[in-house]
Amino acid sequence: MTDPLHHPLPRRRVVQALAGSAAGVALAGMPALVRANSPVRIGYTMARTGPWSVGAQVSQEPNYLLWAEQTNAAGGLDVKGTRRPVELLASDDQSNLETCVRTYEKLMGSDKVDLVLPPWGSNANFAVAPLANRYGYPFLAPTALSRRLVEMKLPYFFLLLQQPKPMMEALVDMLRSQGAKSLATIYVDDLFGLENYAALKVALQGSGIQLVEDKSYPLGVKDLAPVLRGIKDRNPDAFVGLTYPPDTILASRQSKEIGFNPKFFYASVGTAFQLYRNVMKEGAEGVLGMGSWNGKSSAAAKAYFDAHVKKFGAAKEPDRWASGHCWAGLEILSAAVAKVGLDRKAIRDFVAAGTHRTIVGDIRFQGSENVGVPGTVSQWQKGEFEVVWPKSRATAALAPAKPAW
Amino acid sequence: MTALAWFELIVSGLITGGVYALVGLGLNLQYGLMRILNIAHGEFLMLGAFLTWAAATGWGWSPLLMIPVSFVLLMALGVALHRLTFRRIARTSPDLDVFEARGLMVSFGLMFLVQNFAHATWGADLRGYDYLTEPVVLPGGAQFAGNKLLLLGLSLAIAALLIVVLRLTLWGKGVRALMQSPTGAQLVGMDTERLHPLMFGAGLGLSGVAGCLLSTAYTITPSMGEPYTVTALIVITLGGFGHMGGALFGGLALGVVEALGMHFTNPSLKSLLSYAVFIAALLCKPDGLFNRRP
Amino acid sequence: MRVSRSDPWPQRLRERLTGWLLDTRGMGRDLWVLFALTGWALAVPHYGSEFAVSMALSCLMYVALSTSWTLFCGSTRYLSLATSAFFGIGAYAGALTLEQLDWFGVVALGAGCAAAVAVVMGSAVLHLRGTYFAVLTFGMTELIRHAVTYWEKKVTGTVGRVLTAVPERDTVYLTVAGLALAALAVSLVARRTRFGLALQGIGADEQRAMTLGVNTRLVKVLGFALTAAFAGAVGAAMSVRWTYIDPATVFNPFIGFQTVLIALIGGVATLWGPAIAAIVFSLLAETLRLQAPQAYLMALGLLLILCVLFLPGGLASMRWARLRQWRDDLRGWWRERDDKARRAARRARQARYGVGP
Repeated sequence: MTDPLHHPLPRRRVVQALAGSAAGVALAGMPALVRANSPVRIGYTMARTGPWSVGAQVSQEPNYLLWAEQTNAAGGLDVKGTRRPVELLASDDQSNLETCVRTYEKLMGSDKVDLVLPPWGSNANFAVAPLANRYGYPFLAPTALSRRLVEMKLPYFFLLLQQPKPMMEALVDMLRSQGAKSLATIYVDDLFGLENYAALKVALQGSGIQLVEDKSYPLGVKDLAPVLRGIKDRNPDAFVGLTYPPDTILASRQSKEIGFNPKFFYASVGTAFQLYRNVMKEGAEGVLGMGSWNGKSSAAAKAYFDAHVKKFGAAKEPDRWASGHCWAGLEILSAAVAKVGLDRKAIRDFVAAGTHRTIVGDIRFQGSENVGVPGTVSQWQKGEFEVVWPKSRATAALAPAKPAW
Repeated sequence: MTALAWFELIVSGLITGGVYALVGLGLNLQYGLMRILNIAHGEFLMLGAFLTWAAATGWGWSPLLMIPVSFVLLMALGVALHRLTFRRIARTSPDLDVFEARGLMVSFGLMFLVQNFAHATWGADLRGYDYLTEPVVLPGGAQFAGNKLLLLGLSLAIAALLIVVLRLTLWGKGVRALMQSPTGAQLVGMDTERLHPLMFGAGLGLSGVAGCLLSTAYTITPSMGEPYTVTALIVITLGGFGHMGGALFGGLALGVVEALGMHFTNPSLKSLLSYAVFIAALLCKPDGLFNRRP
Repeated sequence: MRVSRSDPWPQRLRERLTGWLLDTRGMGRDLWVLFALTGWALAVPHYGSEFAVSMALSCLMYVALSTSWTLFCGSTRYLSLATSAFFGIGAYAGALTLEQLDWFGVVALGAGCAAAVAVVMGSAVLHLRGTYFAVLTFGMTELIRHAVTYWEKKVTGTVGRVLTAVPERDTVYLTVAGLALAALAVSLVARRTRFGLALQGIGADEQRAMTLGVNTRLVKVLGFALTAAFAGAVGAAMSVRWTYIDPATVFNPFIGFQTVLIALIGGVATLWGPAIAAIVFSLLAETLRLQAPQAYLMALGLLLILCVLFLPGGLASMRWARLRQWRDDLRGWWRERDDKARRAARRARQARYGVGP
C-alpha cells in the first residue's frame, strides 16, 4: 500500500491545476487581448456638400478612406507593436465654419476620440487649429496654406504644403533660368491670392524680370476676358495666375479664346487636378502650375497612385499637389503611432523633431512649417503633370515654351 | 489704346450685356405685369443651363435644339408654379403691398428649394462642355470664341423678338395694357386668369433660354444663379420696372460699363461699382431711369 | 396717476414700475416663460456635454437674431434683408478692437457700430416700402461687403483678420445667451409700450399713423437701429469662435436669409414664434445634417412656401380652429370633386341613352 501523504499528485489534480493556471493566465491576459482588438477611433469632418466640396473630395477625403482601408487590410494600425483596427468617425461639415467648430468640439471634448484628421481649406483650419491645440491633438493639415497660420505658433499644428515664399521663389528662379524678361499676373481677392502676390513681388526684386501688369479680381468672377486682353496687349513673356480652380479654368479657356499665348503660362491651384486635363484636353500641354509629385517621383508614390486609382476608378486620380501631401501626412501619423503609441503629446513631439520619409520626399518641420520639401513647379507634358523644377526633384525636363492653345 | 482693342472690349461687354438683358426682360415681365419679384429667377436660369448640359453630354443634343426645348419646359414649370402658389396668394391678399411681400417670400422659398435640389441632384462640381470653342477672327483682326458670338447674336435676336411681339401683336398689346392698368384691361375683356400664368411662365422660359445659352460658353455650378438674379434686379431698376426697351438697353449698358470698368480699373471694383450704381438708382429714381410713366 | 400718496407703498411701487406699460395682460405668463428659459440657458454649460453647449449656442444665436429682426420687421412689415450686413459689421468692429478693449467693450462696440450704420441706412432708405426696401437692404449688404473687402485690400493690404485674444468658450456662451434673453425681454416689454404700438401702427397703415401724430420717421429709424444693434453684438460675439474672419464668411447672406426664414415661419406678429422656430430649426439642421444635408435647406424653403400660402401668420398662429378649418376645407373640396364627377357621369349617361332618370 502506498503512503497517502507521500502519494504523488494524481493525474486528475495535475490536469485541474494546469487548466486552472491556463485559465488564470488567459484571464489575466484578457484585458490586453480586448485592448488589442478595440479600434483606434479617428474623427474628422469633411466638406461633402457646399463650395469646399470640390477640393475636399479630390484632395483629401479619398486619401483618408484609402488609408483606413489599406491599414485595416494589413491587419490594423500598428500601435507600438499591437495591431488595432482603424475606425473613422466622419461627418459632413457642409462647408460651414460653425459646423466644423461644433463637430470638432464634440469629437475632442465629448467623444474623446484617439486622433483627429483636419478638414479642408485654410478657413476651416484657422477655426479648428486653436481648438486642437487646446485639447492637445496633433493636427497635420494638407490643404491649409497661409503665413498667418505659421505665425500663430501653435505647437500641435503642422502645415504640410509648401508656403507661398518657397513656391514663388522656385517659380521666379525657373523663369529667370529660361531668360524670361517680363511677367504679368492676376490674383484672387483672397488670403491665398494676396499672400502669393506679395511673395511673388518680393521674389521678383533683383531677378531681372519686370512686372508689367498686376490685376486682382474678386472670388466668383464670371469673365476675365477684358483683363486678359489688356495683358495680351502688353505681350509679357510669362503669365502667372494666382487663381482657384474655377478661375484657373476660366482664365485658361478665355486665354485660348482671345489668342493669348505667352511663352510661360502658370496657374496656381487647379492645374494639378485631373479635371484640368479633362477640360482643356490638348490645350493643357505646356501649362505650368503648383505641383510637387507624380507617379514617377518614387516607387512608393507609384504604389499610392495605383492604389488610389484602383479604389476610386481611373476617373478619380489623386491630384499632383495636395493629395500627395495628404498621404504624406498620413504616413507620418502612422509612423508616429507605431513608434510612440497613442500618447498625443508624444506623437506631437515625434512629428516635430524628426525627419520623415514620405512619398513627397523628406518632410521636416520648423515650428508649424514644412521646410523639408522645397518650392516646386510642375508642367503638363503629354497628359502627365511632371515636376520640372528644381532639377533635383524633377521627373521630366522643362519644355521651354508653351505651344499655342 | 488702339481702335481694335476698343472694339474687342466693347463687344465683350455687349456679349455679357446680352445675357443680362435677357434675364432682365424675363424678370421684368413678371414684375412689371404681376408685381411678383421673383428672387428665384437666377435659379431657373441655372436649371436651364443644367438641362442643356445634361442633354449635350448625355444624348449629344445640340444646344441650339435645347433653346426652344428649355423655353417650353421652363414655361410649363412657370405656369404650374403660378397656379400652385401665386394665384392663391393673389386671391387671399388684402392689398397689393401684402401681395408683393408674400410673393417675395414665396420666391425666397423657391430659391432655397431649387438651388438645393440642383445641389442634391448634380453635386457641387463644376460642369461644362465644349461647343464652338474655336476662335473666330472677324474682319479687322478682332478675335472671339464662336460660342460667345453666337451668345450675343441669339440673345439680341430673342430680346428683339420679344419686344416686337409685345409691340405689334394683339396679344402683346393686351399684355402691355395689363401692365398699364390691370382694371382697365380687364374691363375691356383681357383674361387675366389665363394671361398671368402664361406671362409668368414666359418670364421663366426666358431665363431658361439665357441659362441654355450661358452653358455653351461658361462652366456651370448649382450656385451660379444668384449673381444673375442680382444683375437682373439691377437691370430692371436701371431700365424701369415694366419697361421692356429700358431693360434691354440697361442690360447692354451694364455689360459694357462692367467691361470698361474691369479693364481700366480692377475687376474687384466691378461689384462695388454695380451695387453703388444700383443703390443710387433706387434711391434717386425709384421708378427707373427710362420710365416715362407718370 | 392711478394711485396717490395715501396708498400703501407696494401699490405705489408697482405703479411706478409698470404704470407706463399699456397692457399687462399675459405679461405674467410671458415673464414666467422667460425665467424658465433663463434658467435652462444658464444650466447648460454646467450640466451639459461640450456638444450640448455648442448646440445651445447655435440655437441661442438664432433666437437672438430672429427675435430682434421680428421686433422691427414683424410689426412694421418692412422686410429687411440687412441682418448679414449688421452681423458682419459687428464681427469686424469686434475683430479690430479685440486686443485693445475688454470683452464687454468689444461686444458693445459691435452693437454700436451696427446701430450707427443702421441709422444712416435707415434715414436714407426707410421712406421706401415693400419690395423696394427689401431689395435695397439686400443691395446694401452686398455693397458693404464689397466695400469692406476693397478697403481692407487697398488700405491694410490684407483680406481677413486673425483673432488671437479669444475669450473662454463659456464667456462666449453666456454673452450670446444674454443677448438672446435681452432680445426676448426687450421684445416682451416693447410691444406693450407706446413705441411698440407705434411700430404696429406703422405696419397696419402708415399714413393713418402719421395723421394720428406718430413721428414715423423717428420710430422707424429707432426700431431699425435696435434690430441692428442686436445683430451686431451677436456678430462680435460669434466671430471669435472662427479665429479667422474674412468678408465672405461674416457677410454671408445666408445668415440673413435664414434669420428671415425662421422668423417668417415662426410667426412675425408673435413674441415666442420666432424663438421657438429658431430652436426647432437649429435642432432640425443638426439632425438632418448627418443624414441628408440638402434636405434641410429644401425643407426650409418648402416650409416657407407652405406657410405663406396656408398659414400667413406663421406656425405660432396655428390654433385648433385653424386645424378644424383646414379639415372642413379639405372635406368640402373632396365633396365638390365627388359631386362634379357624379354630375359628369349622369350627363354622359343621359347623352347616351336619352333623357331618363
